Amino acid sequence: MNRNATVWLWRAASFAVAASFIALWQLIANLKLVSPVFLPGPDRAWTSLVRGFSNGDLGNKLAGTLEHMAYGWLAASIAGIAIGAIIGSSRIMRTYVAPSLEFLRPLPVSAIIPVAIAMLGLTQAMALFVIAFGAIWPIMLATIHGFAAVEPRLYEVARSLQMSRLAVIFKVALPSASPDILAGMRLSLTVALILSVVCEILAGLDGLGHWVLLSARAFRSADLFAGVILLGLTGYVTSVAMSMAEHRLLAWQAAQR
Amino acid sequence: MANAAKRFEVIPGQPRPQIAFTDVTLQLGGKTIIENLSLGVRPGEFLCVVGASGCGKTTALRLAAGLYQPTSGRVDFDGQLMLHPRREIAIVFQDYGKALLPWRTAAGNVSLALEAGGMPAAERPARIEELLRTVGLPGHAGKYPAEMSGGMQQRLQIARCLAQEPKTLLMDEPFGALDAMTRQGLQDEVLALVAASGATVIFVTHDLDEAIYLGDRVIGLLPHPGRIGIELAVNLPRPRDQLSTREHPEFLRLRRQLFDFIKAAEQ
Ligand SMILES: Nc1ncnc2c1ncn2[C@@H]1O[C@H](COP(=O)(O)OP(=O)(O)OP(=O)(O)O)[C@@H](O)[C@H]1O
Ligand SMILES: [Mg+2]
Repeated sequence: MNRNATVWLWRAASFAVAASFIALWQLIANLKLVSPVFLPGPDRAWTSLVRGFSNGDLGNKLAGTLEHMAYGWLAASIAGIAIGAIIGSSRIMRTYVAPSLEFLRPLPVSAIIPVAIAMLGLTQAMALFVIAFGAIWPIMLATIHGFAAVEPRLYEVARSLQMSRLAVIFKVALPSASPDILAGMRLSLTVALILSVVCEILAGLDGLGHWVLLSARAFRSADLFAGVILLGLTGYVTSVAMSMAEHRLLAWQAAQR
Repeated sequence: MANAAKRFEVIPGQPRPQIAFTDVTLQLGGKTIIENLSLGVRPGEFLCVVGASGCGKTTALRLAAGLYQPTSGRVDFDGQLMLHPRREIAIVFQDYGKALLPWRTAAGNVSLALEAGGMPAAERPARIEELLRTVGLPGHAGKYPAEMSGGMQQRLQIARCLAQEPKTLLMDEPFGALDAMTRQGLQDEVLALVAASGATVIFVTHDLDEAIYLGDRVIGLLPHPGRIGIELAVNLPRPRDQLSTREHPEFLRLRRQLFDFIKAAEQ
């Protein structure tokens, strides 16, 4: 009861903050503190958003970005979990491979974009590669950590049950590492969105990144802001959806606290 | 040496030991933990192992489970060299909190052993319910280990081990972390379960009374390196009873003998 009330209070407070933020934005636009060419008010951005959706343009762009993001993120997840599992479940691999990973990880993904373009051209394949490459790191490192941290006693239980290698991976190691893996996947979601936009801008691929770029070039600031708002919403909604999935999948963890 | 090696060959008229250690030596990290241990456990026997902390009880049990391979000598199970752990040998770990899958419910944890044994999914629920009832956990099937008390978690681990339908049950101080009342209750439950299944048991404990109360035989280990220091046959009538067995003159005599041994070992 009390807890519920607190939750609602927090929600009301954050809603109020958002509302006053928009009000401030409208005020600045109305007073023309910034030229309307660069800063449209929320009213104009909203109109543009509605128009974009009603004539289908913005919907298509959104679909494009979601597609880039989803494919890149899924590819990163599959490869990241698989590679992370192989490295994390072997001590030898951890000692020899982990240091090179630590060297590669801080490398900005932007540094490999020219390499990817040189190899794959300005194509969807290039975008997929860049997004997946950037998004793989949080997932892979989290998986390595999760696999390395499996309780050794559980492996002994598995051995005395004579479980197959595959069964050990799917019934013991993966579930045990799942909190780490899911946290890594949530971080990667943001990375995938950012890189989708970057690739769309660079390669002119259909998506919100391209829309934002074209709007900026044409000084259509309302359209530009509509795109930016949509990108923000995309990031927010996907991350909330991911949190909900985590909550469901990790219900057993709630019992531990 | 030759004598010890011959000890466990099949002798007509005598049952072959289910688990046989022959001149077993184990080194870990360059240190000899167990030295020249020879020991036979008859089918259906309840063997208790006592000894000071660090004398090698857990290590000996892990050898019996096939989790360690001896540096020299051999461990046999049913007359076959033990090369790896096997489903017929179940092990109840002391740290039950670590030996259960926290993401599976009580039913799911029991199911793990049934799955490993290849039982069809349709038959599992009934068997799980039966096993949970056997260990006194009916109605807790949907609980996660973290929602259960220590005693309940240990019962759950025992249920999973029973699901293996083991010929041999290895128990490493299974009740060490439990309070006296829970402990006595579980002692009697284990005796009843073992009597019903006919399993062979090796039971490691710190508690000398517990060892005599449960066992057909008690061995005491000496440390550095681990070896057998005393071996006592327990000729107390079964079924055992928490009051009368513990007051039995034979119980008191064995208890005295074991205490003297532990005291002497500590000096
Ligand atoms: N993996 C290992 N590497 C090196 N030494 C070990 C290893 N495992 C155990 N030992 C040593 O072997 C000895 C026996 O250990 P063990 O765990 O078998 O003792 P224990 O009798 O079970 O003790 P306790 O009653 O405290 O559980 C100890 O001195 C311990 O330090
Ligand atoms: Mg021990």
